[in-house]
Amino acid sequence: MSVIERPGFKARYDTVKSSLNEHWFSYLLLAPTVLFLLLLVWVPFLNGVWMSLHQWPFGSGDPTFVGLGNYEYLLTWGPFYTSLKATFVFALTTVLQLGAALLAALLVVNIGKFKNVVSASFLIPYTMPPVATGTIWLYLLDPSLGPVFKFLTQNGILQEPIYWASEGNLALAVVTLVTAWTFWPFMFIIILATLESIPTEYYESARMYGASRWDTFRHITLPHLRSAILVAVSIRLAWNMTKVSQTIQMTGGGPGYDTSLLAVFLYRFAYEQGQMGMAFAVGVILLIIMLVFIALFIREFELEEAHA
Amino acid sequence: MSVRDRVGFESDGFYKFVTGVLTLFLVSISVFPILYTFLMTFRPANEFYSNDVQLFPTNPTLDNWTFAFAELGDALVNSFLIATGTTLLSLLIIVPGAYVFGRKQFPGKKYFFYIIIVALMFPYILLIVPISDFWFTLGLYDTIPGLWISYQLFVAPFAIWILRDYFAKLPRNIEESAQIYGCTQFTAFIRVILPMAGPAIVAIAFLSFLTAWNDFLMSSILTTGTGPRPAVVELFITVAGGDTSDWGLITAETLIIGIPPTVLYLWARQYLSESFEMS
Repeated sequence: MSVIERPGFKARYDTVKSSLNEHWFSYLLLAPTVLFLLLLVWVPFLNGVWMSLHQWPFGSGDPTFVGLGNYEYLLTWGPFYTSLKATFVFALTTVLQLGAALLAALLVVNIGKFKNVVSASFLIPYTMPPVATGTIWLYLLDPSLGPVFKFLTQNGILQEPIYWASEGNLALAVVTLVTAWTFWPFMFIIILATLESIPTEYYESARMYGASRWDTFRHITLPHLRSAILVAVSIRLAWNMTKVSQTIQMTGGGPGYDTSLLAVFLYRFAYEQGQMGMAFAVGVILLIIMLVFIALFIREFELEEAHA
Repeated sequence: MSVRDRVGFESDGFYKFVTGVLTLFLVSISVFPILYTFLMTFRPANEFYSNDVQLFPTNPTLDNWTFAFAELGDALVNSFLIATGTTLLSLLIIVPGAYVFGRKQFPGKKYFFYIIIVALMFPYILLIVPISDFWFTLGLYDTIPGLWISYQLFVAPFAIWILRDYFAKLPRNIEESAQIYGCTQFTAFIRVILPMAGPAIVAIAFLSFLTAWNDFLMSSILTTGTGPRPAVVELFITVAGGDTSDWGLITAETLIIGIPPTVLYLWARQYLSESFEMS
């Protein structure tokens, strides 16, 4: 019976050395990317976890070690659960974005005339800074000055304007819808580009065999879009969760904590109260929720690579 | 002759009508809010507060625009410097990285790519707290280079993801052929591969510029009023500070900040859509 020896230190050192010799050019070109991302993701992240165990004031000032105190405080504090609930409701914005993007892409791909104008106009909400579009909606939906409520009350559709910002559920709905309006074109771009890459012969032969529109959508279009949709949805979910500007602009996270999504909560702790340790503790909880999606994304990526 | 759509179905009247209405609806909700606001900026203050809802101003004026430009002034210059620097730095970092991921095989490739994926999906907002603390220590807080570096977090992972695909789709064995004709690995990359990836690289440059110009999160936290505060943050502070008495000025500022990225984006659209394909 032979015993398989595990490679000793020397042997492993040699493998590393020979792959460096052989692939030095790849590693050299990769170095800047890896260095920057380590500097911008991992160093701050580990530092942040350390911060979350402290009472950590912004800028200068001495941190005090509090162990898991910040987490304990959050988990026993009512508004934290309000925030958690708001975050899950707000996540629906991704579903709305997908619906709009899928519909728009399917419409655009079959347009004969004005295709460019139509798809360009779909992009416009996404191209402006969210702070700019947030301001526009804040003006349009202003209960006393904005045109939307002026129009509705003057035409007798509403008796009086709705003061949505002072009512929790409505404020959350407005924030969710405005976020959907702002970011849906991102998914539209990805889905349209992928739709256009499906060879038309597939559709032609399906039609020859008598397939209906629904059949071709179900058996040709959707399977081809599968990975584009998964990628777009997971990226958008992650990114939507970190958007704070429009929410803070439109509701300030209120009334009370009703629209304080976890990200807004974090922002309020950090920059209204200067409690960096507490802010990061909120961040860690947000990250734990996001890890589920990161894991799904990586799994999808590995499936893709296995196919390629 | 009957009209056929792209996928070869005959378009009947009802189907055409429904798709037409839906298209028109989506176009109007995308464009109309911005168009309406744009027309509002030409109204003098008294027309802003009148009770009627009409599209066109009766006495158009450019006052809002001139005041808005005066107000934003330096902040627009800051935005431009921040976005341009971010773009240049991002190309230096992203293009070589994406090339390696797209076309080279080497030990550990998969694990290096995980670094990219995790960075792509990471809830950025939580990194900004320690980054600002870190930048404070390094002296990068409230400086333009500090923003150039930190925006790579937003730009690099997604851009590498896209550009990697583009590089991978270029014909195989180009490097080997180039090396037969006397190129080194390095000159094959610079002189053969890079020009072929031109459109995708242009797309990445636009994305970087727009990300930096449009961002609020990073710049609001890493700059102060005495430092290089960009226009987006300036606008945010005016609005969030509750100073919304002069909507004419605010909407004009909004469009001054919003129109440049829109124009750039629409101009770069063909490059972008080519690179966004995910099959």
